[in-house]
Amino acid sequence: MGVTGSAMKELNLAVIVKLEPDFSEGNVSYNADGTLNRAETKSILGPHSAIACSAAFYAKVKYGARISVGTMGPPIADAALAQAQQICDADELHLYSDRLFAGADTWATAETLRAGIAKMQGKMDIVFSGHRASDGETGQTGPQTALKLGYTFLGHVIDYEVDMDRRVVRAKRLITLQGFYDVIEEVEAPLPVFIAIDPSYKPSFNTVSQRLAYEKYQKEAKARVANYKQYLKVFNAQQLEVDPKMVGLPGSPTIVYKVEKIPKAKASRKTEVIDGSNRAELRRVAIKIHEVLGGMVIK
Amino acid sequence: MKYEHLYVVMEHEGGKPVPVSLEMLGEARRLMDGYNKRYNANEKVVAVVLGNNVRKLCEELVYYGADAVIYADSPEFEYSRNVVDTKVVSAIAVDKNLVLKFSPQSTDFVKPHYMFFAADNIGRQLSSTVVGTLDSGLASDINKLVIDDLEIKHEHKTKGQPVMYERTLEMYRPDFSGFLWTTILCLDNRNPAIQRDYHPQACSIIPGVFAPIARDASRKGVIVDYTPTFDPGDLQVKILSRKIVKSAVDFDSKKAVVSFGRGIKDSPEANIRLVTELAKELNAEVGVSLPMSKKPFPVSESVSSTYMIPDRVVGTSGRKVIPLLYIAAGISGAMHHLAGMKESEFVIAINPDEEANIKDESDIFIKGRMEDVIPVLIEELRSVKPAMEVRK
Amino acid sequence: MTEHYDVAIIGGGSAGLAALKQLANLGKQAVLIEAGKQVGSKNVSGGILYSKRPKRGSTHNVEDVYENFLSEAPVERKITKYILHAVSKDKEFAIDLTSAHEYQANFAYSVLLNRLNGWFAKQAGEAAEKQGGGIVSGVHVRSITLNDEKTIIETDEIEPFEVKAVIAADGVNSEIAQLTGARPKFTPAQLYQGVKVVVKLPEEIIEQRFGIGPDEGAAHLFSGDITLNHIGGGFLYTNHDTLSVGAVYHYDSLLGRPAEPYTLIDALLKNPMVSEFIKDEVAVKQEIDKSLPKEEQLRIRFAVSKLVKTWNELRDAHYSPAARRKLVEAGKYKSEDEIKARLDSIRNELQTKYATRFVTDYVELEYSAKLVPDGKRCMMKKPYHKNVLFIGDAAGRGVFIGPRIEGINVGIDDAVRAANSVARAIDRNDFSTLGEHYTQQVEESPFTRDMREIDKDYLKTFLDAAKDVPKDIVGQRYGMIFRLMSSGTFRGLAVGFANILGYDKLLPMVESEETYVQVPIEIAERLGQTVTATYTPTIPGVAERIARLKYDDDRQPHIKVLDPESEFMKKLVMLCPTSCYSLEAGKVMLQHEACIECGTCAKETEWRHPRGEKGVIFQYG
Repeated sequence: MGVTGSAMKELNLAVIVKLEPDFSEGNVSYNADGTLNRAETKSILGPHSAIACSAAFYAKVKYGARISVGTMGPPIADAALAQAQQICDADELHLYSDRLFAGADTWATAETLRAGIAKMQGKMDIVFSGHRASDGETGQTGPQTALKLGYTFLGHVIDYEVDMDRRVVRAKRLITLQGFYDVIEEVEAPLPVFIAIDPSYKPSFNTVSQRLAYEKYQKEAKARVANYKQYLKVFNAQQLEVDPKMVGLPGSPTIVYKVEKIPKAKASRKTEVIDGSNRAELRRVAIKIHEVLGGMVIK
Repeated sequence: MKYEHLYVVMEHEGGKPVPVSLEMLGEARRLMDGYNKRYNANEKVVAVVLGNNVRKLCEELVYYGADAVIYADSPEFEYSRNVVDTKVVSAIAVDKNLVLKFSPQSTDFVKPHYMFFAADNIGRQLSSTVVGTLDSGLASDINKLVIDDLEIKHEHKTKGQPVMYERTLEMYRPDFSGFLWTTILCLDNRNPAIQRDYHPQACSIIPGVFAPIARDASRKGVIVDYTPTFDPGDLQVKILSRKIVKSAVDFDSKKAVVSFGRGIKDSPEANIRLVTELAKELNAEVGVSLPMSKKPFPVSESVSSTYMIPDRVVGTSGRKVIPLLYIAAGISGAMHHLAGMKESEFVIAINPDEEANIKDESDIFIKGRMEDVIPVLIEELRSVKPAMEVRK
Repeated sequence: MTEHYDVAIIGGGSAGLAALKQLANLGKQAVLIEAGKQVGSKNVSGGILYSKRPKRGSTHNVEDVYENFLSEAPVERKITKYILHAVSKDKEFAIDLTSAHEYQANFAYSVLLNRLNGWFAKQAGEAAEKQGGGIVSGVHVRSITLNDEKTIIETDEIEPFEVKAVIAADGVNSEIAQLTGARPKFTPAQLYQGVKVVVKLPEEIIEQRFGIGPDEGAAHLFSGDITLNHIGGGFLYTNHDTLSVGAVYHYDSLLGRPAEPYTLIDALLKNPMVSEFIKDEVAVKQEIDKSLPKEEQLRIRFAVSKLVKTWNELRDAHYSPAARRKLVEAGKYKSEDEIKARLDSIRNELQTKYATRFVTDYVELEYSAKLVPDGKRCMMKKPYHKNVLFIGDAAGRGVFIGPRIEGINVGIDDAVRAANSVARAIDRNDFSTLGEHYTQQVEESPFTRDMREIDKDYLKTFLDAAKDVPKDIVGQRYGMIFRLMSSGTFRGLAVGFANILGYDKLLPMVESEETYVQVPIEIAERLGQTVTATYTPTIPGVAERIARLKYDDDRQPHIKVLDPESEFMKKLVMLCPTSCYSLEAGKVMLQHEACIECGTCAKETEWRHPRGEKGVIFQYG
């Protein structure tokens, strides 16, 4: 009945996470030009990163696993790693921090992460990432890191199991086919794989013993976080053995050319009250509706 | 030239294109028509299709603006799989022999000049891996595109020197705040220290932004068949099952949402019909307030199971929606509901009670019962429609 | 393969957790199943936990179960002052009941259950883990199958598992009681409805205002016109840096003349004395100019929110010696003066840059409601069904006699007795007499005695405290028996006679509108001093209160109205604390915006708790 009773080789799991601005009201701050005031805004473990951590933790509880968490960011990003450790009871925390990494686009970021994952203890069976970051990142880093690692990429994963005997992953993916419907696809892929976790993922532990193991590891995580620096390794570009030309700004194919205000500022709401029994007024509303729907889509 | 043509990677479901595929083709057509005229060039819009029995789709794509369609037909492409799709699309993108079939003068071809993908569940990831494989850069979630000659001075790209980048794709991306537009460029490194080419200039495009061009069956194009080769490793990912999730409520790709609440109470069945008719007129998704999902009013089973369901709830306990237009019919505006809709671009409330909370979150508050207001509104929408189309 | 455990405890309130801890103390394996995402998230109490030392018999107290309770538990304040106020409009007369409060008590603490039960869970969970058990939260029990040989527990979330015995600690609306048929649902006559708000107030302001030291706390009870003529009363307890302010009413009194629970609590908050107790300095944001561009409006909104948040946090620290010290020690500020200076500068920035006003008002943090079983009227005579034992609220147990209000400690006492009985059955591998043994243990509890008869010594303490109240007010209304009780010589005789009559006959005489409303009003008007409020509190409406609650809606409705046209359900339109019901064309419809799972409507509905992790998530409790 043991949860980790399998004599199989333990899984090696990596999670790549991101420190993101806390966009919640009361914490976020904007500059007068509408850009985020990063200095005044506290950073936290990104919500999608947190879900990726809980997905890795699922395997730890269910199959037994060693978890390494890595992030690229400034020295203060170690706070995100501590938050991640709290969720997944990580055994190893990696921070890739160097001025040379700054300004990287997704392709250059993927290079740093690839090198970082290579430095983690053991060969990774599954690498997890969040769906995307909330501060302008694009959901590209995960697939591109997978590509560099040569791992099978599985995105939008809402549920997964590992067949420890066959060393394969069975995953459910939730895919929206625009204009048609959603599908839930069940796929099977041999390890190693790279899993980008869907925001709707929720680990389900379905026996009492799994739930108890969950509690036990959560407690262990709490104890570890109290001394998280003990688990932390910080790497600069040299220690990661990356080519400086392949990371940061020099390694980025794309640049930000300009930032401007979107011309049509959102109208502030000044409520106009209209008499619902007046046909001429409703005609005006109908015209307004057509105008509004001709506008630009921002998402 | 080494880099020529605009490749557009198509998505479809069982041979029917997803809307954004045709939207991308439309924008590609407009862009390249302008481009060819301005630069006196003859670069093509090339649609790339993977699928099983998709020959017929290829013809359609020509009618919607493609000069050429390269397709790979195999049972292995029945459903999208990132690993194998990446390999085949990347192979197609660098295959000169394919290009020569629709552009014989492209003898120097190495890679596409530009490349478009859909910024949806499949395209977002496929774009990342394909463009990575092609060793180039990618901008995501684009809603405006311009091609221009730009003088660039960049610490790394040009070693601080002004350099003219011709025929550069300016990719506009609304940032997370919704107020700012970031223009992304994908540029070759002209700095001798890190000399390196980055092509294609690629991006993923937000669904629902661009208009497709009108279908024209007289359009001609070249359809090129590509026969992929597979390594065993390419096909290790197996799709075991695929289940369509029935109640697909799609708030995201619709420009408008029409929601109803307790105000339907006097004649629930008829009022829900009115709301759905209005939604249909506006091509809007239908939302509900939380109490509706608990089925408080007796209505027919089909209406109840289609509309009074948790999937449609807008608010803290359901979905947060940000459409261009939000119409709240008979919703008083509990705070939980407001939290789910108040960032909508334009809000219209229909409610007999002027004291209702929803009023403060509306741009237009139509005072009246929905059973009186909606029928007239639908009539008026229909009658002003032709005039509005002309203005566009 | 079905998993096996010795004992399942259903419900992670104070009682269930104590059962888990006690079983672990006895070396027994038990798992506790809690529906809330985290233990404590569903728990609400008025807010005082007692430890008792009765003259006859003995109780199992919290510090006996948790050996480190006194040194480590996150209790709020030790209640050292206990005052009953008779109030009428702006008149108030205080009766010091501290001696009655201290009657046979080791100590009493104000508590907030989310925090405290979280701590209990840590202790109990760790101890249980060593015995192969532990706490499973976010799981809702759906059914229990009791065969001759097997007891199988099925849930909405995890696979069924088998146990030897069950301790049901799932509260006043116990589903286990319904599933097993152990008892009928409680009737309104057996219940109180309690409504509470947690009010924010900085630590040192509390101490100054209530005249208490850092390790002390005060409890204030209110009766009189604040109940809007209902049988019930108000309370205000000091916590560490919050106040628990609430009102408790006889449910049948409310049914007689339905009133919205929030209007009842609002009446309490509007009483000048209460208004003055809860007042604080509050930042009021200026309306943002809507003619500004939207991004500028947003920038201002976020900037003000951030400053106000910082101001609030820093102000709390400024009024807390420990927090001040911590900030200085952490190097965030050089000195305590610097904290004050920073606080003033933020306040100044808010005033000058953003036209924020600082006014006298109060800050409500959380609105909650709960049904309380009146032990005198509803305790289960046989608190078991086969090998399922009921404890605490689930068994309808609590001691409520006038100003004596004890629930949590009764549940803990029950829990120890149930755990002991189960441990004994496990040791003997014989569960046939488990229920009877537990019943016998419960019979021996001093609390059971208190639920059956009047304790004349307590009564004396109470009457002595009220000695300044003119006899004629009490006498004219209650006649012979109470005049006898007021006299030392005859009290014993009178109590004896009353107890022969029995609580059943006595209670309606005592627990009346007279006692709870008319007498206090008369006392206040004749003897009271005048209290004036310096401001009018801005009381949030129910919609705003609901909106502030954390809530994870269960898509599957957990309440079903049985008869939409019943008189009872029509009254629920008013009586539901979160206005979940509305009357549409003569029929009551569930308009469920945010059910807080109090069970007020349970009597005539199909009522379950939401599934695991779903429903309301209380932050204070």
